Amino acid sequence: MIIKYLRDNLRALAGWTVGLSAFLTMYLGIYASIKDDPATYSAQAMAKYPGALKDLMGGLQDIATGTGYLQTVVYQLIVPMLFVVCAMILANRAIAGPEEAGTLELVVTLPVERRRVVLERFAGLALGLLAVAAVTFVVVWGMTRQVGIDTPFGRLLAAHTGLYLLALFFGTLTLAVGAATGRKAAASAVLGVWAVLGYMVVTVGRGVDAVSWLRWVSPFHYYADGRPLYEGLPAGDYLVLAGATAVLALTAVLAFDRRDVGV
Amino acid sequence: MTAVVRAEGLSKYYGRRRGLEDLTLDIQPGEIFGYLGPNGAGKTTTIRLLMDLIRPTGGRVRVLGAPPGEAAIRARIGYLPGDLVLEGRERARDYLAFLGRMRGGVPPGRVTELAERLDADLSLPMRKLSKGNRQKIGLIQAFMHEPEFVILDEPTSGLDPLVQQEFLAMVREVRASGRTVLMSSHVLAEVEHVSDRVGIVRSGRLVAVENVAALREKAVRRVELHFDAPVPREAFEGLPGVRDLRVEGAAVRCTIDGRPDALVKAAARFTVVHLVSAEPDLEEIFLTYYSEEGAHHDHQVPA
Ligand SMILES: Nc1ncnc2c1ncn2[C@@H]1O[C@H](COP(=O)(O)OP(=O)(O)OP(=O)(O)O)[C@@H](O)[C@H]1O
Ligand SMILES: [Mg+2]
Repeated sequence: MIIKYLRDNLRALAGWTVGLSAFLTMYLGIYASIKDDPATYSAQAMAKYPGALKDLMGGLQDIATGTGYLQTVVYQLIVPMLFVVCAMILANRAIAGPEEAGTLELVVTLPVERRRVVLERFAGLALGLLAVAAVTFVVVWGMTRQVGIDTPFGRLLAAHTGLYLLALFFGTLTLAVGAATGRKAAASAVLGVWAVLGYMVVTVGRGVDAVSWLRWVSPFHYYADGRPLYEGLPAGDYLVLAGATAVLALTAVLAFDRRDVGV
Repeated sequence: MTAVVRAEGLSKYYGRRRGLEDLTLDIQPGEIFGYLGPNGAGKTTTIRLLMDLIRPTGGRVRVLGAPPGEAAIRARIGYLPGDLVLEGRERARDYLAFLGRMRGGVPPGRVTELAERLDADLSLPMRKLSKGNRQKIGLIQAFMHEPEFVILDEPTSGLDPLVQQEFLAMVREVRASGRTVLMSSHVLAEVEHVSDRVGIVRSGRLVAVENVAALREKAVRRVELHFDAPVPREAFEGLPGVRDLRVEGAAVRCTIDGRPDALVKAAARFTVVHLVSAEPDLEEIFLTYYSEEGAHHDHQVPA
């Protein structure tokens, strides 16, 4: 059943992998020209974006250094969000999508426990995202060597692991809401709100006392605040992400086991 | 022998909407049970309860002696959903192979054999199938693993008459091998030729269960004879089994109970130019039979 889920979504997986790889190749490629004239580019970047937007982009202070550029372009905003969207799409295809389409009906009447149906689709989601993460990691590693960004392999792997865990967390959130409600729209809405607010809290809201305490419920806090690209693997933070994912997966399994399908 | 289906006071409410109320029904091994009712009567609700797709709000049900939630028993059931959806680029053949594997295997050659009988194309991507061809794939997957119990929700919808005949032959084969079928439909005519018993559900309640053979014995047949010249009424009066006689010039109309012998012999004295004999309308007598007994009288005749 895992294999079937992956095969059914092969096109989507391949599409996302190719798209993300192309995006990464292009943006990391630009660094070659930035490197030649760091001062200009740095100043340009600082001047181009107003303060709040700068916060949103993670500060932009050291965009002209190799690791800073990598952080801003790859691990800050756009790529994590793309990963999250990819995870959402894949996760919606696990339960809520087929349920709304009507194709889940026969699957649920197979001699397979409902719990196993959800677990195997969760496993499929985890593996599918792992494939996307692995390929994009190779691309990032290759491109950084190419353009002369010298972030150590371990740090890069730590940051990319965070990307994977973040995507898996949001994917599992989508899966859980979808498994509980059977509605793609509900799942996407919960994910959207949590992701956008979560990101705002740790960037723009960082200095605002009224909201900064909320970072404890923001996945992005555990993803980025340990600064893996600079300081290596933030094991504790990542464990929190993985643990929350496990809890969500369990919720998905139990919720789907209890309810009416396709009503 | 344990009943294939044993429902006791089975009810399902969707919020406040009634789906099914207080269904008590036994289906025995080896019988074909026709489940009839108008739109929104509760047929699909009943069937989805048996498949554990939805959970009852009251009562209890056993399928093949176990609660429907027990996954293992579903390998022994074949199920055709009322609203079958097949999608994607996957070819029907591959999808059937997947379903077969998940149900613990299908005898080799079985899928091809069924596909030939129903004239189904297994090599097309499923999203390109027409409604009827989708339904054929649905039938193949319900029959292919030779399940003990076949549950079919409106199996004939979308099928052309030829394929319908083949399908009915498949149903008879299931019975011949001692297995059981539950099939729903809107009209009795569709299921009466294969069903041993039929049940009628209306507004969520089972209002009647009746043995088809017994019903057929009660059946009346309408006959119309046309002659080359006007015939005297006396020639047809008082014939055994002939009722509601109407003679209008060269035409005779009546209904007959049982054998048409006396009528045929009486008619043979004149020149018959045209003879019409309508199929007995079981549905009509079925319904009148029960409206006499009262709509809420839950009547059961064992098979
Ligand atoms: N998901 C649902 N939510 C609310 N009400 C429902 C739902 N499904 C069915 N019902 C209601 O339950 C009743 C029985 O519906 P059901 O689908 O069992 O009828 P049916 O006999 O299969 O009809 P049809 O011949 O049209 O397929 C109907 O009144 C219907 O409106
Ligand atoms: Mg129905």
